[in-house]
Amino acid sequence: MAGIHRPSKRHPSKRIVIYNHKGGVGKTTLTINIAYALALLGKRVLLVDSDPQCNITSYLIDDITLDNLLDNSDGEDGETIWSALKPIVEAEGGLKKIEPIRHGKKLYLLPGDVRLSEFEEALNDFWRECLQRRLRGFRGVTALSSLVNQICEDHDIDYVFFDCGPNIGPLNKAILLDCDHFIVPAACDQFSVRALKTLGHTLLGWIKDWETAVSFAPDGIYLFPGKPKFLGYIPQRFRVYRGLPSSSYSPYFSRIEKSISSEIVSGFKKDDPGLASRSMRDLRIGEIKDLGQLANAGQSQGLPIWEVTEGTPDQKNAALELFEAVASNIIRLTSLSEANVNA
Amino acid sequence: MMAKSPVTKNDLKKINRLVTHFKNNQELFIRFSDNVRALFSSDRLSPYVHSAKWRIKNPDHLRDKLIRKASDMRLTGKKFDITEENLFERITDLVGFRILHLHTSQFEAINRIVLDLINEERWELIEGPTARTWDDEFREYFNKLNIKTLDSQSMYTSVHYVFTANKQKSCAAELQVRTLAEELWGEVDHKINYPHPSASSSCREQIKVLARITSSCTRLVDSIFHSHQENDEAP
Repeated sequence: MAGIHRPSKRHPSKRIVIYNHKGGVGKTTLTINIAYALALLGKRVLLVDSDPQCNITSYLIDDITLDNLLDNSDGEDGETIWSALKPIVEAEGGLKKIEPIRHGKKLYLLPGDVRLSEFEEALNDFWRECLQRRLRGFRGVTALSSLVNQICEDHDIDYVFFDCGPNIGPLNKAILLDCDHFIVPAACDQFSVRALKTLGHTLLGWIKDWETAVSFAPDGIYLFPGKPKFLGYIPQRFRVYRGLPSSSYSPYFSRIEKSISSEIVSGFKKDDPGLASRSMRDLRIGEIKDLGQLANAGQSQGLPIWEVTEGTPDQKNAALELFEAVASNIIRLTSLSEANVNA
Repeated sequence: MMAKSPVTKNDLKKINRLVTHFKNNQELFIRFSDNVRALFSSDRLSPYVHSAKWRIKNPDHLRDKLIRKASDMRLTGKKFDITEENLFERITDLVGFRILHLHTSQFEAINRIVLDLINEERWELIEGPTARTWDDEFREYFNKLNIKTLDSQSMYTSVHYVFTANKQKSCAAELQVRTLAEELWGEVDHKINYPHPSASSSCREQIKVLARITSSCTRLVDSIFHSHQENDEAP
């Protein structure tokens, strides 16, 4: 069984998560179409299906292949995220190396697994052990990070996108702390706006916990950076009238903006001088209006929404432009923040 | 009459800020102290240990200590250079752990296991072991074990280690190892002379005599165990 050595250095690819613990805000559709758009712009992208519900995996691969993957994931030849992490959960040695599935020229998928929830359960112990300064804990919480690092090295990845379940559990904690950036999708409804209040607070709590654990960590072990930066937000699922959000949605725009500013920007600008200088307009890195039948068609056909058989050419062109704009924004903002780091 | 303190108002302001900084980080020190306790709760130590104590420094005692340090620095013409950034590194006993044992010959094993644990669990020993003693016999014992000794005018005796969790030295802890008889002296001295030396010269005098008695106590306990062992080993 091929194993993975713990990284001595973090691969320079940018790790990003589109995260909101509120479900149904279109995380998966957003993630996958942004990844497609980045690939169109020439970037090599790894999608990590870190949601035990496997939505992104079932989006990208057909049912029979998926069934096969899941049936075999527990054995020696397993090829899912669980196959790689299982030895860590069962304390049977190191991470197992697995190959991502290639999708098109520049897109890679680390397939998900329903059994990932067993890893999530073990993470509760690992997080506790980190605060007890135990090596097993640090190895456990950074296991997925190490796995992703290896794939990035093998395939020269530029961008990693994690697709998360809608919760504030121990697995998402490990993903957020591993990411360089997070993007908040906010649907235009009152529950989604409310969720923003707990989101900022939760993330800042995770960052502080990790700082404490790291300050006692033994030297010479692989740790993730633990300082995700807020890249921006994407209002979603609103209807448009004459090119503007229709009147029933526009109040949500200002409420989302207000919550983003008070609950997220205010807490994150302390460690990110670049964030403080950005306007609310600049923080809105895209606007995804209600995609209607395109979103569902994309999911059932396993295609970017601008390539599905449904919809008019105009609708599909508009969708492509939208996502390309988001992708270009992501490229611009992540290289800006890199310039800041190097300055 | 007390001499005017050389500590400036500005120093006191700084010291207050340092104490607040320490208070704001209580959670960090609770975690750190838990980790230190876990380290020395090893089964390997227990055959040699009578009991153990630990504490996180009382913020008021930290204030007193910083005032004493500032005063010492001013008197020797130095600047008071402890800041919020280096406080947890410079004050090495914010977390303290104490191992008490019955007789001196147990120390050799305790020292070996303590150093092994620090090494195995990847802590960084940054000071010690250093034995404070004023007794020639004990000095010779420690020197034979290659342990550095320091004279002790106050007649305080103990072996000290200072260590950090890693090379970042974000906070340090102090381990003290001493016999039960030394602990008796230490506790009495602490109650009477800490944080300010007793105003009564007879008290100060009696505490010095107590040091001779508790030292003899340790020496006697050593001898009893030595004789007991010899008796056991006799054919």
